[in-house]
This record gives sequence, C-alpha cells and structure tokens, in this order.
Amino acid sequence: MPRAHLMTPLRRFADGESVIEVEGATVGEMIVELDRLFPGLGEMLTMGSSAAVDGLIHAEPEFLAVEPDADVYFVAPLTGG
Amino acid sequence: MSENTTTRRSRTHVSCTVNGDQVDFLADDGTSLLDALRDELDLTGAKEGCGTGDCGACTVLVDGRINCSCLMFAPEAEGCDIVTVEGIAEGDHLHPLQQTFLEGAALQCGVCTPGFLVSAKALLDENPDPTETEIRYALAGNLCRCTGYDKIVRSVQEAAVQLRGAAR
Amino acid sequence: MTITEDRPAYKWVGTRPIRHDGYDKVVGKARFAADRNFPGQLHGAFLRSPHGHARILAIDTAAAEVMPGVKAVVTGADFPDLPVGNPERDTGINLMARDAALYVGHVVAAVAASTRAEAEAAAAAIEVRYELLPVVLSIDESMADGAPLANPDNRTAFSGSDDPSNLATVTPLERGDVDAAFEAADVVVEREFDTAWVHQGYIEPHACVVDVGPDGRADVWASSQGHFRVRSQTAAVLDWDTARIKVTPAEIGGGFGGKTTIYLEPVAALLSEKSGRPVKIVMTRDEVLRATGPAPASKSRIRIAATNDGELTAIDGWIGYAVGCTNDMAGFVGAMSVASYKFPNLKMEFVGALTNTPRSAAYRAPSAPQAAFAIESVIDEIAQALDMDPIELRLKNAVVEGDLTSMGGPHPRVGFVECLEAIRDSEHYRSSVPEGAARGIGTGFWFNIGEQSSATVNLNEDGTATVITGSPDIGGSRASMALMAAEELGIDVHRITPVVADTESVGFTDVTEGSRATFATGMAVVNACRELVEELKARAATILGVGADAVEWVDGAAVAADKDPLPLAGITAKAKGTGGPLTVTASLNAGGAGPSFAVHCCDVVVDDETGRVEVLRYTTAQDAGTAIHPSYVEGQMQGGTAQGIGWALNEEYVYDDDGTMLNASFLDYRVPVASDLPMIETIIVEVPNPAHPYGVRGVGETGIVPPMATIANAVSRATGVRLSSLPMSPPKVLAALDER
Repeated sequence: MPRAHLMTPLRRFADGESVIEVEGATVGEMIVELDRLFPGLGEMLTMGSSAAVDGLIHAEPEFLAVEPDADVYFVAPLTGG
Repeated sequence: MSENTTTRRSRTHVSCTVNGDQVDFLADDGTSLLDALRDELDLTGAKEGCGTGDCGACTVLVDGRINCSCLMFAPEAEGCDIVTVEGIAEGDHLHPLQQTFLEGAALQCGVCTPGFLVSAKALLDENPDPTETEIRYALAGNLCRCTGYDKIVRSVQEAAVQLRGAAR
Repeated sequence: MTITEDRPAYKWVGTRPIRHDGYDKVVGKARFAADRNFPGQLHGAFLRSPHGHARILAIDTAAAEVMPGVKAVVTGADFPDLPVGNPERDTGINLMARDAALYVGHVVAAVAASTRAEAEAAAAAIEVRYELLPVVLSIDESMADGAPLANPDNRTAFSGSDDPSNLATVTPLERGDVDAAFEAADVVVEREFDTAWVHQGYIEPHACVVDVGPDGRADVWASSQGHFRVRSQTAAVLDWDTARIKVTPAEIGGGFGGKTTIYLEPVAALLSEKSGRPVKIVMTRDEVLRATGPAPASKSRIRIAATNDGELTAIDGWIGYAVGCTNDMAGFVGAMSVASYKFPNLKMEFVGALTNTPRSAAYRAPSAPQAAFAIESVIDEIAQALDMDPIELRLKNAVVEGDLTSMGGPHPRVGFVECLEAIRDSEHYRSSVPEGAARGIGTGFWFNIGEQSSATVNLNEDGTATVITGSPDIGGSRASMALMAAEELGIDVHRITPVVADTESVGFTDVTEGSRATFATGMAVVNACRELVEELKARAATILGVGADAVEWVDGAAVAADKDPLPLAGITAKAKGTGGPLTVTASLNAGGAGPSFAVHCCDVVVDDETGRVEVLRYTTAQDAGTAIHPSYVEGQMQGGTAQGIGWALNEEYVYDDDGTMLNASFLDYRVPVASDLPMIETIIVEVPNPAHPYGVRGVGETGIVPPMATIANAVSRATGVRLSSLPMSPPKVLAALDER
C-alpha cells in the first residue's frame, strides 16, 4: 500500500498521525481514502496542495498515478518570485 | 460626466534639435522634456522610472551634457541639441557601447538600458580611458535592479578599449 | 567560471549568442508597458487612502465628475463582491477598497480624463468620509492579546476555524526529539533577529492600457510576469468570462515576483467600459512603493545545537512574517525554505501575521531570505564557537539526495555539496583576507517550481523556425528558448525567431515565478521540437523514398543509408507536397523542478567612525543544473546578489505611527548603485536536474537568499559584534559598535 506522509500542520486533522498507509492507484484516490479515515483531511489536502512523489514535486497531483509501494509527501502550495 | 472638455490650455511652441533632426512641438508649460519626447515625438526609448531624478532611466544628452529629462521642462529645450538613445547609433551601425552591451549581456529586462547607454556615452566622450571606479561613479545616477552592474561596467570597459583602438 | 559534471557535448546549449530581443532594447525601440498609446486614449489616476485603517462611510464623486476632461469615475461600488473563499477576492479588494481602507495608499476611487493632470485633479476632488479604525503595524502588535483586527475578513488558512483572526497561517514543523538533543549538545547558540520591509524595486512602474469595445471585449496591453495570469485575475475580479479579455504582453521592466499579481487592469477596464475610450494608467514611483510589493518584514528566534565535532543535531525556533493587509502564504512558503541541513531533530513554527500595510507580494525566493539570514547567522556563530572553518561545518551537515526537507519529502539530486566545495576551492576563499577586512560565508536554497507551459514551433519554408511561447522575457529567456530549439532541430540559433505571444496566440502558460520559465517552458519547447523531428524524419523518408525507420536525425539533417543527408531546409521546401505545414504545439504541467543551492563568500571592511559597511569582494557559486545561456545565468546570480546586498545594508520601509511610509522615493529608499558594489564573481555549478531534458534547474530565485547572512557573518568577524537586525545601516552598525 502507498504511504501518505503528512507535513506537521496537517497532522492535527489526522489525530496526530504522520504516516498513513492507504489504498489508492492515484494521489486523488489516496485522498478519498484519507478523508474517509479522517473526515475533513481531504479538503485540506486538495486546497491547492502539492505532492512530492519519488523526489519530484507535482502541482495539483490528483490524477497522478502512484506505485503500490510509493511514498507520497503532501506539502504546502508552492509559489515563487 | 463633464461637458466642459474643450478647456484651452496654454501651450508653448518649442523648436530644438533631436538626434540631429530639427523638430517643433507644442508643450504645456508643466510638461517635462521626457513626456514631450515620449508623447509628442514618440521617442519612447527614455523611460520614467521615478519622475524625481533618482533613477536615471530618462537620461538624455542636452548640449552634450547628461540630463534627467524628467526634471527638465519641455519649453526649456528651446534651441537645445538633444540626443536620446534612439540617436546613438549611426544609421545601421550600432555604437560600440550598444554592441558591447549586447555581447556582454549587460541588459536583462532592458528598461534601464537607454539611460545607461546615454550616461556611458557621455562618460567616454569626456574620458576615453576611465578606471573601474570612475565608471562606477559616472553611472551611479543610473539604477539597474537586474544585473548588479557587473556586466554593465565590463561592457563599458570593453567599449572604451574599442573606441580607443578606433581612435588610434 | 563553470564547474560541470559529466554531460553530453552540446552544440548550442551552453553558448552565449546575442539575445534576439537585444537590438530593440539597445536602440530604444522595445515597447514596455508605458510605451504604447491607443488612439483616443484617456488617462487614469487614483484617489488613495491617507489612513492606515478606516471604514469608508461615504464617497461623493459629484464634484469630480463635472471637472474638465473627466470621462469616468469608478469606486468599490462598481466592482462585484466576490464570495469569501474566492482566490482572487483579496486581489480585487486590494486594487479597489470596498467597505474599508486597509493601509495608507489603498485605492478608494479612480478617474479617467483627457489628460493625466485632469485625472489627478479630479481624483483629488473626490470626497470620502472615513471612520478611523485602530492600525496594526508590526508582528508584535498583530499577535498581541486582544489586538484589533487588521482585516476582519481574514481567517487563518488551513486552520478549519471560521473566526476572524490576524493570523494568515500557522505552520509547525517537527521531527525527532529536540529537547533531548539540546540536553545532549556540546554547543548551543540562540539569537533573535528582525528584518525590515523591502521592495522588489523594478525600475519600470506598473502600467497598462485597456480598451473595452462596444462588444464588451477588452484589449489589454500590460507588462507582467505572466499575461495569462493578468487575464485570469482580471476576469475573476470583474466576474467576466475569460474569453472577453485579450492580454498582449509588453516588454517587462523587471518584476522579481512583484509583477505576479495585478493592480491596475480591472480598474482601467471599468473606466474604459464607462467612457467608451481606451484608458491608460501608469503608476508613479511613489505609488509603486506605497501600494505594490513589498516583501514581508520578519522577526525570528533561532536556537541550534551542535556537537564538538560540528554535527548540527537540532534546530528549534520561530519565524514570523508581517504579510500586510490580506491573507498570504509567506509563512507556509518560509517553512518550505528550511531545507539545507540534515538536522535530525527539528521543531519550528512559521507564522504569517496581518498588518495594515500594503498587501505583500512575492520577491525572489519569497520568505527564504528572512529565514536564511537567521539560520545562517546562528550556524556561523557555532563555527566561531567551535573554531571551525565555516565551510567545513556546513559540508559536514549539508543535505544530499534522499535527505529530508523540512516538510518531510526527500531531496532529489541536489548540488549543495558541490557549491560548498566550489567556494572552498575558489581563488577568492583561498586568498588571504585583505588587511583590515573580514570574510563571511552564507548559503541559500530555493525549491523552484514547474507548473504549466505551452510552446508552438513553426518551421518556415526556408528552414528557419519560429518558437512561440507564453512566458514573458524578463532576463533573456527568448535566447534560452531559441538555444534549446537550435540544439533539438540542429539549426543555427539565429535562424530561430523566439516570440512571446498574446493570450490568443499561444496555449495557456502559468505566470513566471519560482524560476520556472527556462525549466518548464523550455521543456515544452523541447517536447515540441522532438515531435517535429519525428515528423521531419517521416517527411524525409517520403522524399528519399526509404522506409520511415531508415531515417535518423543528425545535426540538422535527415540521414539514411546510401543517401545524401537531407538538411532541414530541403524538407521544409517540400512541406506542401509531403503533408502541409510543419508545426507542433506542446503543452505540459512540468513536475520535477530541481532545487537550486547557492554559496556566497564576501570580504567587507567596516568603518568604525561612520558605521558604513563596504563590500570589497564578492563571489557566488550556484547550482544551475545546466546553464542554457551562461551569461544570463550569471546575470541572475549577480542580480540576486545585488538585491540581497541592498536588503542587508540599506533598504527598508520607514513608517510613522499611522502607517504612512516616510521614504517613498528612490532617493530615500536606497537601492544599491554602481559605486556601492564591487564586481560579483560567479561560479556556475552544473549538477544536472534529472527531470529536465537538458538538466535545467532554474536560477532566478536562490541568489538573493545568502547575501544578508554572508555580510552579517563577515561584519561579525570584522568587528566582534553580531548584527541581528536588517538593514545593517550605518546608524545600527555604529550603535552596535558603541555597545561593544
């Protein structure tokens, strides 16, 4: 099962958990499953968030495919100057 | 809205030389030389970066001396010989400063470039062999926010070498 | 100088041709935002709030409307009220106040008239009745118990709370056991820091011309870091269909993050709609400083633990950003920026707090310089305490591929160690420190971003090419796009015309931010060229009468066994007979932007009579991944450094108690001039980004991150005094020397 890693500010929406194994073939499917486990967490993960998968950061990763053993890091929305 | 849109403003007839051409235009008494160049003559090379003489983007030569055209009233140009960045090249031949700025990547956004070229030309016309310090002080009235000045100073140095070679 | 890992030999990538748009820019022909006039255009001017925070009770425009030349007046009542939660609600409120003025300089009304002077006179004649509200100016005031609300609209993002608050974001980060690490530490250094508001300082003020026709369609001419964002924000703020708006990009006179958002276009659009005439608005420098940008002021406390042999075992701290009058992600992004050292134990909190000052905007590596100033200063103090070389200390703790960022994800391949080694081995660092001077080291990081880009590549009949993108050329990107296309197609870079097209002539392209143009738009160009080459091979197979698989593309020509090479121009000449025009469009959402690290070294002297800090020598090493046009990579490094030196030594907003900026001119807001700086020596480090076809990382941001600590660290070694407040202006330095 892929692992969802939550940055610290997201953990209060997941009873303090930092790493959660959830089913999902895409990042979006993982978010649905995370929201089922922790209602409200899904909204926080879809509000403009980015995800780092295999060391690459992706913006709006909802439909990004993930391998069964992937580590998905949910990080802050990104901007620049 | 106002019906009174035909108010006459008093305008002054100004006659001067710009980039070698005799030109005539009308200007309000409060119009800056910069606005007259840009709006009346469509010479938009000189820019307004501040309007207070602090950034040098509007630099032009007036009778051979550098001037912030935003600080000079257009009617004051009566009878003057004015050179803007548009008048630095000779026909299709770029001035050595223009060429070394291109080759030396001395511009990034390019908005300050016209002012720098005019100031640097005035420096090299006066002092063909300036030190790095002299170049930096001569250009201290021109702000560039992109380059950190390194490539500008080097390009002026290179143009000075080329101009001295050509003069020999 | 360039230090390069093994990489393929390129013919065009890495060369330094004259940029394609350069000629227009050295002869004064290039048209920037204020350089175009539309026939029959009017001029716009604003009435701005003189108060830092005030309820707007009534606006009377009657007198203004009958003044000479006046054709239209707009106020907040003319704008739609976007629902809370709409991402551009704050953009709209910032460019035209509604119920309240939130800072001195907040626009409350606008006028269009025949001349600018008439518009200004009419704007001044508009009468506004205000009810003054308490003003919040600093992080401390904003976060105090019982503090008045700077903006009652604000809710703390990602908090789940619907209560009004002065907090924009609160971002904790935690890993390991910080308390145990500090208990076990051999050395602990703790300090507090603060930094002032600073402005991006682009030389071109914001400007636009907007013409709304009788069909309701708006023709917008403006400079920006992304004209598709100008379109989307204008549409959102006015609640218009996007298809009503066409934005043509003017040349942009500098942005540095400050032109990633809009201030003028919707106002000009409504004035144009009301008057039936094109409306031009050009900001003054005073307006630019009072009401655009700036970058957040900050305050921080940082504590770092180390062992005697220089392992940094823990960091704990708090960094607050004053974000201005609307919600902002500065604190969030600041949290992302702490990613240079392994720190097995980490506990930090990043806060964004609202103030009654202009809405802050991105400025080159936003939020990272403030954090790096604090952290790199404390690390330097640890090196001093351990009597250890500051580069060796950093090398011992620098992140490499697989190490965690502060947010949790692992770093991809990064070049921090290579940059540290480049400075360690540089002639500058190995030279002896000049008599009376001292040397400082500092480092910086920025994650960079990818996002969406489009590119169209057209091959012309004679074998020349046109490369069309939607990324404005801020510092040489046309040349970079042409270089990558030349490499792919195998033709001379000057037979390629790179074009920045309007919003109706190229596919959607995100705003240029996060050093993404050469990375992501460049990737779109490369993808389009690669698809074109496949098509060229197929056409060549037809022309040569061989199978499609028999053709290779080598150095600009189709090559098949037993046939003469068929150059690109030979294929384009027969385009009509082999299937029609040769054109490809590629679009993408680029993942895998490569983080860029920089290491800086400087020598300073401190005048102990005046307190002036003079920078004698400066060297910067930065990981570019691959430098497509090295001159413009060096330019980004040098320009970022110069801005950082200004931030370190001179630049600051000075406010009075009501929030009025007292130094709103380039005379008093003192950016570095040529005589303030030495040459800025550059070492381009090339550790290719595996996610880009040429290894590009993006180089625009990182250069501004290290200078403040680099200079503070040198000043500390020169004087024995640790400066912890920016700018290190002469009065502050003198006061610190006196306390010594």
